[in-house]
Amino acid sequence: MAFYDWVFDSTGLRSWCGENTQDGPATMAELLAKARGEGGGERELFPFPSLDNLHEACAEIPRTREMTAGVENAFLSAKDAMQYVLDPLTQPLSWFLEGALYIFTTVPWFVLVPLLVFIVWFVSRSFAVTVFVTATFLLLGAIDHLEVAMQTLSIIFVCTGLSVLFGVPIGIAMSKSNALQRFMIPVLDLLQTLPSFVYLIPLIFLFSITEPKLYGIAIILYAIVPVIRLTDLGIRLVDQDVIEAANAFGMNGRQKLFGVEIPLALPNIMAGVNQTIMMSLSMVVIASLVSAPGLGVLVLRGIRNLELGVGLVAGLGIVLLAIMLDRTSKAALARINVTHDSH
Amino acid sequence: MNNSHDSMPKIRIRGLYKVFGSQSENMLPHIYNGVGKAELLSEHNHVLGLQDINVDMQVGEITVVMGLSGSGKSTLIRHLNRLIEPTAGEILVDGEDVMKLSKDGLRQLRMLKMSMVFQKFALLPHRTVLQNTALPLKVRAEDEELQKTEACRWLARVGLEGFEDNYPHQLSGGMQQRVGIARALTSNSDIMLMDEAFSALDPLIRTDMQDLLLELQLELKKTIVFITHDLDEALKLADHLVILKDGEVVQQGEPQNILLNPADPYIEDFVSDINRARVLKVRSIMTPLEGTLPADAHGHIQADDTLESVIAHSDGDTAHSYIVMKDDKPIGTLNMTDLVKALVPRIASKERETSVI
Repeated sequence: MAFYDWVFDSTGLRSWCGENTQDGPATMAELLAKARGEGGGERELFPFPSLDNLHEACAEIPRTREMTAGVENAFLSAKDAMQYVLDPLTQPLSWFLEGALYIFTTVPWFVLVPLLVFIVWFVSRSFAVTVFVTATFLLLGAIDHLEVAMQTLSIIFVCTGLSVLFGVPIGIAMSKSNALQRFMIPVLDLLQTLPSFVYLIPLIFLFSITEPKLYGIAIILYAIVPVIRLTDLGIRLVDQDVIEAANAFGMNGRQKLFGVEIPLALPNIMAGVNQTIMMSLSMVVIASLVSAPGLGVLVLRGIRNLELGVGLVAGLGIVLLAIMLDRTSKAALARINVTHDSH
Repeated sequence: MNNSHDSMPKIRIRGLYKVFGSQSENMLPHIYNGVGKAELLSEHNHVLGLQDINVDMQVGEITVVMGLSGSGKSTLIRHLNRLIEPTAGEILVDGEDVMKLSKDGLRQLRMLKMSMVFQKFALLPHRTVLQNTALPLKVRAEDEELQKTEACRWLARVGLEGFEDNYPHQLSGGMQQRVGIARALTSNSDIMLMDEAFSALDPLIRTDMQDLLLELQLELKKTIVFITHDLDEALKLADHLVILKDGEVVQQGEPQNILLNPADPYIEDFVSDINRARVLKVRSIMTPLEGTLPADAHGHIQADDTLESVIAHSDGDTAHSYIVMKDDKPIGTLNMTDLVKALVPRIASKERETSVI
């Protein structure tokens, strides 16, 4: 009756399959076929030997939906153990995010905005960038979006800060060990290409949805990749002649790392930080699906309630924040490059 | 300085081999059995970088290692401070085997005993000229004030006063290499390794730098190992010249001697393009004094005069002969006809062969 019957008949596995050709709930495909009145009469000439098709011939073979259910069960059974380890480990992230959010939303604007403008001036030393940032804050304030923008900024600061804190050492370790690099590159590829919603599904199971660390982890996992990659690359690209000179004068590993390699890799590392900032900003909207405050919430409201204006204005607000952060970090990068330009 | 070569050399290299490849150690028996460079590459897929190098480098002398690219000269100099690990052999610095040093001992050696100057300068682009120059002392964690005064002193000595706060990329190539030399001198080590130090500079600057080095050497008497592919440069600087070809020493000795007695056609070829009149010195071709001074001499010349200056002195008259003086004492005679013969490579080397035997 089923296409693959002969496989089990000819290999003598029929008895292992058992006679009770399956029951249990029908699959969606079967129901659809029934609804169309085909009744299972019409069959593909040569169906792919998939789990579902093999199952028709032999009940012992699990169906695909049983496989996905298995993945889910495996995750759920490991969940308690993972939670037990990960929950306390990631708790500081919640504190950081809550703390930053508290600071950014309770410090009055007439203190916070000048402070941020001063920081921008300090790192970029660029008049144009400073003016642009000031204008952006004033504009956001004028349309009553300053507070949500500050919430978004606080999340970005914490997440990029932690990304740099973990990413740079990981990148350095990768540059020192080819084995670690071979292991890490597929992991980084995975983190970068896995659709961001997919991070959220297991995270929702692991942590309470009301906790800030949920979106914090999602953002960091996504945004940490470029800073790791570019730190690794930057240190590997340091002029070998200079490294040789450092060796020839008897520098030890620490002196070489902090005196030569990191300073010379700094332009690349900073380019990685810039990318990390941009990527964490792009995760902010998705993170608001799991209770992250900020401009993302307004964008979501725009989508959910079809409030075109609200969504559009909040979206443009995110763009402004992005330009602001990008120009500031690029200006800082350019300042480093000036003293590094050796060629 | 003691110039007699029977004193303990500063650096002694004995039976040094370098094989590049994954199983370099296993290749050694083949090499000892006489497998050549080409065979080793084709049959065992290993590159023979250096074979059986034996060189003594004396205190206070400039030893120049010369060879064309691929001859292994840069590999050789990097063996001295083990930037490249030798496969077999001994490198004795002040009688101590560098090969046996621990990681820490090696760092001590690099910090205190050997400094290095590089072809591409290899300065730290993010540090000022002063900080670059002070690097060897900073590595040793010397006192900040000492770092600064020492670095300033050596920068002034190489003619870079006033550039202390510039960054390397603001200087020309020649000035950057002056920083490189100042950095090596600041380390105050006995031995200076110079890896094609002037090869990246244009000819006029290169001559300046050679003069600077000779002038510094007159005063400092360091043991310098100088790598070059330029024979003119080698002849100008060398007290002891080592010629490398395909990882082997083809000839070594006093440069004048090599020029007059090339050991094989390769070196003969090499030295044939040289302006011999400018390089050869009177002492190398004179006839040592026997008994009395000749009466018909046309005047006195110095033992270290170049032939070029003697030709100018004689107005080109080949009938002249001169008394050769050293430290105001006559030590030999020189006929202009001998001088002219010495200017032609093949005649000179044949004459020597017969006269030496």
